[in-house]
Amino acid sequence: MTSTFAIDLEKISHTANIAIVVLCGLFGLAGYFVSFYFHFLTVAFFLLVLLNLFWRHGQTSHTLLANFGFLAQIRYLVESIGPEFRQYLFASDTEESPFNRVERAEVYRKAKGIDSTAAFGSLLAFDRTEIKLRHSFYPVDTDQLEPFDVAVGAARGLDTTYHIRRPIMISAMSYGALGENAVRALARGAKLAGALMNTGEGGHPKYHLMEGCDLIFQMGTAKFGVRTEDGRLDESKLAVLAANNQVKMIEIKLSQGAKPGKGGLLPKEKITAEIAELRGVPMGQDVLSPAHHVECVDAASTVEFIGRIQRVSGLPTGIKFCLGRPNEFRTLVQEMERQDTVPDFITVDGGEGGTGAAPKSFMDDLGLPLFEALPVVHRILRDEGVRDRFVVFASGKLISPGKQLKALSFGADVAYSARGFLLALGCIQALQCNRNTCPVGITTHQKQLQTGLDIEDKARRVANYIEALHHDHVELLAALGRSSARLLCEENLYLPVQAPASPLGEEPS
Amino acid sequence: MTHPNLTRIAQGVVALLLFFAATQKFIGEPGTVEVFVGLDMEPTGRYVIAVIELMAALLILSPFAALGSVIAVSVMCGALIAHVTHLGLVVNNDGGMLVCMLVVVLLCAAYVLVSRRKEIPLVGDTFS
Repeated sequence: MTSTFAIDLEKISHTANIAIVVLCGLFGLAGYFVSFYFHFLTVAFFLLVLLNLFWRHGQTSHTLLANFGFLAQIRYLVESIGPEFRQYLFASDTEESPFNRVERAEVYRKAKGIDSTAAFGSLLAFDRTEIKLRHSFYPVDTDQLEPFDVAVGAARGLDTTYHIRRPIMISAMSYGALGENAVRALARGAKLAGALMNTGEGGHPKYHLMEGCDLIFQMGTAKFGVRTEDGRLDESKLAVLAANNQVKMIEIKLSQGAKPGKGGLLPKEKITAEIAELRGVPMGQDVLSPAHHVECVDAASTVEFIGRIQRVSGLPTGIKFCLGRPNEFRTLVQEMERQDTVPDFITVDGGEGGTGAAPKSFMDDLGLPLFEALPVVHRILRDEGVRDRFVVFASGKLISPGKQLKALSFGADVAYSARGFLLALGCIQALQCNRNTCPVGITTHQKQLQTGLDIEDKARRVANYIEALHHDHVELLAALGRSSARLLCEENLYLPVQAPASPLGEEPS
Repeated sequence: MTHPNLTRIAQGVVALLLFFAATQKFIGEPGTVEVFVGLDMEPTGRYVIAVIELMAALLILSPFAALGSVIAVSVMCGALIAHVTHLGLVVNNDGGMLVCMLVVVLLCAAYVLVSRRKEIPLVGDTFS
């Protein structure tokens, strides 16, 4: 015999199943003998009894409902509102993923131009697993710093060499993934702040072009916008696009952090007639991009393809990938040297996954995280003696100035962020980017949801965010005792024992 | 099992008949008054039911048709109970017209309910 008080859920639910039948009968009698108004309840309970009978005996797909009846439904109801409850009430400020409230709040404050200083200490727990920046005894005066300037294409001596003057760029998000208002707000913000924006692989960047900002055109594996019908490169289309003076660079996407080794995926819910036209795809079905460019099957063909894009476009051209096997990258770099065809930049995308819709296992289990991949890429480029010929962009959750400086210290030259800018646009991390139901009108094409996203107001926030990041970048750089971002190196990093940035990323050769 | 066009027609029938029934009750047509006297619900019950019927008629034409059909079925069940227990099948020498109409609405609403079962708020997900 146990003396502890326990709730026997099974008994309760069986009693409840009988009780509703009894109540239905009682209300029926009351309706007959006392007042007809009781029949409001009779009817309600009658329908509940019917529904309950169906749940218990007429279906097999919900075990709990079959075993326990209507009370089990409470579990489904409570579970369905769980995410909101956790976010609003129960999750602590440093608990949520992918971005916790502290991180999000910093972006919101920067975007709104509010003071983002905090008081009474950091909210983070320091347990020697975190990477930190090492400052110097002798900070540099901020007016002594060199202005931020990264020249892409200079190594090849291109006329079209582009000077990046902001340490942060808006990473690849296509029209399709984002709605019209969101794209335009980002583009207008980029224009206001003089930052560079990536178009994503969404075909002809109609809305990105609208606001007059400088663009990196991304060519995904399906080559939307510059493809022939069988998915190969249409050189004439690329040449036309590259001739547009807003397009400053071409980025060839080999893979992306959200789903390395798999092509892009645009869910059918988000394909409007216009998107189908801009991309040249049918409506009513998911648009799947191939896992690799048809032209790129090994190192040699990939490098040839890069060279071809460089020739056709005449613009600085780079590649974007999420690192898997370092040795493959080394082979690719060696092949570049052999063919003397070097991309002007490399974008290292962390395996952390971005806004892209992706199968869960691809998002969770594939690809090296950014801070693992960056040092490996940097080291291989240095080993091969070609580090000076590349500009390295880094992306993967770099939404705060500290993280961006860490990425630069790990070997990157410029930081990219996508989700940081979504937060600046007002993203509340509802995690519905793939369902066309984004409550703040960013990743949706529903007009009604987009009405709340005022382009002018949000563009200002995007510009504020860029300016605040640049401001913090300068301050941090000074504190680290470096007069230029170029001088940042691993010496500026505190790497904990068994650091995430250990050589674990390197394959045994 | 169900056809989208048939569902739309059924929605139209339910909305039309319920709208008609609700208007009758609002203007206090003598037949309806008599019915509610018979149920000892005159006049409050008459207006309450009229409002509910009107709500169901509007909802069943809106994107919340599933919810509308649930309400319509409920009201019709109540009406059926009234006829069986208090009023009898023939009211005011109508030869059973009222009951016939009631059954038509009930069947149509039930059809809508079944074909739109997945859209019912809260419990829709449990249907296949």
